[in-house]
Amino acid sequence: MIEVANITKTYGKKDSAFTALDDISLSIKDGATVAIIGKSGSGKSTLMHIMSGLDTPSDGHVTVDGTVLQQMKPKQIDAFRAEQMSFIFQAFFVEGNQTCYQNVMLPLEIAEVRGRDRKQRVMDALAAVDLSEKANSRARNLSGGQKQRLAIARAIVNRPKLIFADEPTGNLDSATGDKIIDLLFSINKTLGSTLVIVTHDDELAARCKIQVRLKDGKIDSLVTKPTRKTVARAKK
Amino acid sequence: MRIQDTIRRSGRSLRSAKLRTVLTSLAIAVGGFTLTITLAAGNGIREYTDRLVTSNFDSSELIVGRDKEVSNTGAPSTEPKEYDESVTSMAIGGDGSSLQIKQVTPEDITELKSLPYIEEVRENYQLAARYITREGQKRFTLSATAYNPAQKPELAAGTLPKTGDIADNQVMLPEGYVKALGFKSDKDALGKKISINIQKPFVDGGGEQVLAAIRNGVDPRTLQPESQMRTFTIAAITKKAATSINFGTLPVLVSTNDAKQMYDYTTEGTPSYDKYTYVYVRVKDGEKQASIDAAQADLKAKKYFTMSSKEIQQSITQIVNILQALVGVFGLITVIASVFGIVNTQYISVLERIREIGLMKALGMRKRDLRRLFMLEAGWIGFLGGAIGSAGALLVGIPLNPWITKKLDLGEGNSLLIFRPSQIAALIVGLMIVAILAGYLPARKAAKMDPIEALRTE
Ligand SMILES: Nc1ncnc2c1ncn2[C@@H]1O[C@H](COP(=O)(O)OP(=O)(O)O)[C@@H](O)[C@H]1O
Ligand SMILES: [Mg+2]
Repeated sequence: MIEVANITKTYGKKDSAFTALDDISLSIKDGATVAIIGKSGSGKSTLMHIMSGLDTPSDGHVTVDGTVLQQMKPKQIDAFRAEQMSFIFQAFFVEGNQTCYQNVMLPLEIAEVRGRDRKQRVMDALAAVDLSEKANSRARNLSGGQKQRLAIARAIVNRPKLIFADEPTGNLDSATGDKIIDLLFSINKTLGSTLVIVTHDDELAARCKIQVRLKDGKIDSLVTKPTRKTVARAKK
Repeated sequence: MRIQDTIRRSGRSLRSAKLRTVLTSLAIAVGGFTLTITLAAGNGIREYTDRLVTSNFDSSELIVGRDKEVSNTGAPSTEPKEYDESVTSMAIGGDGSSLQIKQVTPEDITELKSLPYIEEVRENYQLAARYITREGQKRFTLSATAYNPAQKPELAAGTLPKTGDIADNQVMLPEGYVKALGFKSDKDALGKKISINIQKPFVDGGGEQVLAAIRNGVDPRTLQPESQMRTFTIAAITKKAATSINFGTLPVLVSTNDAKQMYDYTTEGTPSYDKYTYVYVRVKDGEKQASIDAAQADLKAKKYFTMSSKEIQQSITQIVNILQALVGVFGLITVIASVFGIVNTQYISVLERIREIGLMKALGMRKRDLRRLFMLEAGWIGFLGGAIGSAGALLVGIPLNPWITKKLDLGEGNSLLIFRPSQIAALIVGLMIVAILAGYLPARKAAKMDPIEALRTE
């Protein structure tokens, strides 16, 4: 459960102050899929960074499973991110010089995961994105879609509770993008991870349970699709 | 991140920038090379002087004199010495300065012999012989001294006496004289006879001889002091030993008896007669440092000046240490210069990898771990530099060693460069530590970097 309470983010001081986020509040249940939609510059990435504890809000706070991120020590937030969150970016951010295996191992090393099953977990993650046979290839030799799949493998190897994806299909053609999205949704189902996707793609947004539309830092609309249960109840 | 993972990751990122890594580490390698050679040369010289001293001086013996100069090794004293009317022996130092040397008298020797901790006293005969020759041959200058059983010379022919002194009327002749005196070979010279000429000092206290000469109508300037020809049988031919401490020509060695007779003859009537600049004293239980120390303390209280073989060694070692420190400073300067190279390279590396750093921070990597990652990268550069430098030193030093030994005439079995694995390991570790410290500032920059800025893609 993530609760975003009255988040405001202001850049600059007094006269030149710029409000990137203005009093944002929302609540996300575990395992939900969330789309943050809006034009470029509307504050989508900023919101995502604040929700993950990477950035600090000027006002308001974020509560994850009852813990207020803004009250945690940097060390605790780091551990929290290492163990419970992961990220997928538009520009992939895979290390071209390293092999796929080494790229996927990184979160496990950061989280200080020990033991012999480390290797197995990496191979499982690579298998989940269909990159098993590329384990020992350098990441720079992969295609764009493969790179993003590698980034997804890296994001799921930790079995995180929360996956943040910032325009994950922005650098991909639509066919490849669709496959990536299918992959993300299937992971949401199998792992039960909460998925927060930043996108301008309305079609993609429509597949998510919660759709947050931002405009100039404010919530323009907040749609929560009814669950099958509620739909069924409503029909009765 | 666990340390083993950090080490592996840091090594891996260096491998992906091979050229830069190698070039940066070459700067340290130069320092590592210089320091390895310096250490090896220090080892070599120290070991050589050790052998030099132990094979030339008996460690259970002391050199004992009455003059401060005796215990003055290494640098000459800077303080002027007060003139002492009672001191009669005067010498001119090598640099032309006047040296007044208070000598050891027969009374002193008696006193020394009576001391319970002294086993033996040996006079040091500095023989002023005129020339050495052989029938039908030219005359040659020489230095001659008494054979010292503790200081066994290396032989080219003949044998050393099993114990004690060589027989009277025998000499050990340095190799150089063999051909000069017309012998066919070292072997040929054995058992043959040579003559050494010594001269009485011109002592004419009352001017009697000069007056007599004038009375007899002889020009007193042509007066010659009495001289003596002594004939010896060649018992052995000596050659320059690897550890010989003689820098000029080797001395002709005679028995102690002969040396005493010759010394007395050449000093009779002079203030030096029966007096010695210094004597050798054998200390009871002298193998034990404690006995030597006690003897030295007691002799000092009795106003003697002493010097032990350990002190001689220390005075030489001190010079070696100073030289080594001088060269070492050059190595250190190179290392310091290479520190800037590391700082520079690591800064560039941090700037190039802003994205990677941002990602690692987003994935929850702690500041401490990031700092460690980059410092360890610098450490790898240090390790590589140290390894390249010392490997280079070994590659150059080991094949060159025999050649240097020959050029410097160190003698078989002595090496100028002695490499010690433990020293090299310590040096590499030291260079790694220096490199890790050099990597601190860039690593801190990486750790402080704002991940959000790094991850923005617009
Ligand atoms: N460090 C910053 N200083 C000033 N303005 C910033 C800074 N970071 C982001 N902004 C501004 O905040 C707004 C929101 O940015 P962002 O969240 O990246 O938008 P989006 O992801 O929706 O494109 C933009 O107008 C951007 O210019
Ligand atoms: Mg954005």
